[in-house]
Amino acid sequence: MSEAPPSQTGEPTVFDEIFTLLTPDRLLRDERATGAGVSVAVIDSGVERGVLEEKFRAAGVTIGPIEGAVFRPDRPTPQPYTGHQSSPHGTTVADIILTIAPRVTLYSADVFGPAGACEVETVIAALRHAIDVWRVKVVNLSLGVPEHKLQQLPRRQQLQRAIEEAYFRDVLVFAAAHNEHPLTRSYPAAFAPPLISVDKGVFDDPLQFAYRLREHVEFQAHGKGYLGPFAREPATSWATPHLAGITARILSLKPDLKPFEIKTILYWMFQAEANRHPAA
Amino acid sequence: MTDTVLIVDDEESVRRTFEEWLRGAGLHVRVFVAPDAETALTVANQHPIDLAILDWNLGSGSDGLRLLEDLVLFHPDVVAILVTGFAHQATPLDALRMGVRDYLDKSIDLTREAFVTAVRRQLDRIRPAKRQREVNQSLAAFRESVEKILPIVQTSAALNDPVPLPTAVKSLLRFAGRAVGAADGALIIRHAAADGPEVMIAYGAEGELLPVGDVPFSRSLAASVVSRQEPALLNEFGAGTAGVLDLFPFEQGRRSVLAASLPVGGGTVVVLELFDKPAPGFSDADRRLTVAAAEVGGDLLRQAVAERQTHRLLFDAVEAALRASTGVQEAISPSTPHGPEDPPPASVMARLREGLDSDVNAVVDAGTTLALVEAVRGLAVRHGPAAVGHCTRMVNDLRHLLDGISDGS
Repeated sequence: MSEAPPSQTGEPTVFDEIFTLLTPDRLLRDERATGAGVSVAVIDSGVERGVLEEKFRAAGVTIGPIEGAVFRPDRPTPQPYTGHQSSPHGTTVADIILTIAPRVTLYSADVFGPAGACEVETVIAALRHAIDVWRVKVVNLSLGVPEHKLQQLPRRQQLQRAIEEAYFRDVLVFAAAHNEHPLTRSYPAAFAPPLISVDKGVFDDPLQFAYRLREHVEFQAHGKGYLGPFAREPATSWATPHLAGITARILSLKPDLKPFEIKTILYWMFQAEANRHPAA
Repeated sequence: MTDTVLIVDDEESVRRTFEEWLRGAGLHVRVFVAPDAETALTVANQHPIDLAILDWNLGSGSDGLRLLEDLVLFHPDVVAILVTGFAHQATPLDALRMGVRDYLDKSIDLTREAFVTAVRRQLDRIRPAKRQREVNQSLAAFRESVEKILPIVQTSAALNDPVPLPTAVKSLLRFAGRAVGAADGALIIRHAAADGPEVMIAYGAEGELLPVGDVPFSRSLAASVVSRQEPALLNEFGAGTAGVLDLFPFEQGRRSVLAASLPVGGGTVVVLELFDKPAPGFSDADRRLTVAAAEVGGDLLRQAVAERQTHRLLFDAVEAALRASTGVQEAISPSTPHGPEDPPPASVMARLREGLDSDVNAVVDAGTTLALVEAVRGLAVRHGPAAVGHCTRMVNDLRHLLDGISDGS
């Protein structure tokens, strides 16, 4: 004999539990919402560990040890991370995540190739390493794969498959929504796509964000960073780690949330704020 | 090139004796010794072997002939001297076919002289063949180089007047700078070979080279621009650079910067940086213009770099051809100091010939006389006074023979 679902018996459902907690302020300003217990991989151009350690130490904020690996197209296995960046971009991205969620466990996957762009295979290798070896919950992909490198269908499918694998392993992938970004172009729908595409916006508070469904973009987050001269210039590269950091904060309250649940929560948080402040 | 001799014998005393004899004979050879077949093959795997002196019985059921079969796999041109206590048991035809060129019999007195003579005889045979192989290799390298050059030479485009890189850079910076109203500009080029060192250079607005100091690319503004994948604009430049990046000397003190990476491809990264547009500074329209300039500049630079690479290839090929031809020349006419076996210099021979020709009593011409003298000299150098004595006896015998025939007629 089958039992009636909780919604019909009047017992609280998982959504009731979530929604009672779910005011944006309550969620994000909760003292436990620090990113603690959440592992985040920054697949980018490497992270200058010493710079971040010094910056947060000076600010009186404790951050965990940053680990990582270096991925190169000509090397079959990842190379040891020496604590240095291949370009300042990755350090600025990592700084944003640590600024929003200072207690995350951060991993740097340096995929910055010699010609300045990353290869599809290198990104896939880094993504799989982040999931299988580092067992991260969140992946930040601010460094895009140029469109021309995905012209071949098998390569595009390979990347899609890797992103889907992440989704089915409960890993959230945040990708910067460049105008011609191949990932977001490949995954245009609202909730079903296995990654979260992020565009830039300017917000008063870096914890603010917006749901703006466009052709192949879902969310907008704060587009300014905090480290380096270009961080002041709005960019999707800086918006993405803001939303990844916000998600890390939410995950530190409830670590077992699935990607679609996170998307729903992010969407709901934006709607709740929009309803409270319709003029804004 | 020094010849290499490998001695393989399971008796340590024999190995040591042979090695001492070789080293004492002034043969100028490199000597390796091995107690068994396995060690010998390891040596052969790591070094070229010209002559192998192999014990017939190496113990453990192994023999020198079987080892030679394996050595030939490593060095097909290896020749061998077989050392055996029972030469009659060897299979001469098989051995000869496999590269055994001499036997030394342990059962009779094996003296230093006999050993050294046998080795010297084989080395004398090896050397010309070896030199021939080296000549062939040099010629093959030469042909390969020439084959590489020919298509380039035949392509008239490669010999057209190329766009020198500094000129291309100057044109690009002038165009981009004027388009957006920048006061100055620079172009940073960084090339990272697959396993080679990283090269980074910067050009100024006049195409001149700019110092880059000791700033690594990974901490540069240029690297930051490249990884953004879109032009970057800063009108309050200077603040906030500490820590995450370092500035090149020509970037320091700038008020504003507009930077974009140029699509050049390969392992080369090129970044265009424009500086100091008067107030209110660079705008989004300038950014869009820079995108267009970057596209055009990328094409221009690709062309200039391609020309340089073509020329580099040409220079490399010519250089390789020259090296190869030098190798051929050296192999055919060694420039090494004159050896005792070499004939006297041509000038000396010419003087001798003049002297002989001037002798009115001469019964044979100077060329014939000199040929005989040179033959006897060569014999003396290579085989000592005993050989010359033998030669004298043969000449006398021949004379007696011819005298007898003459008298009989």
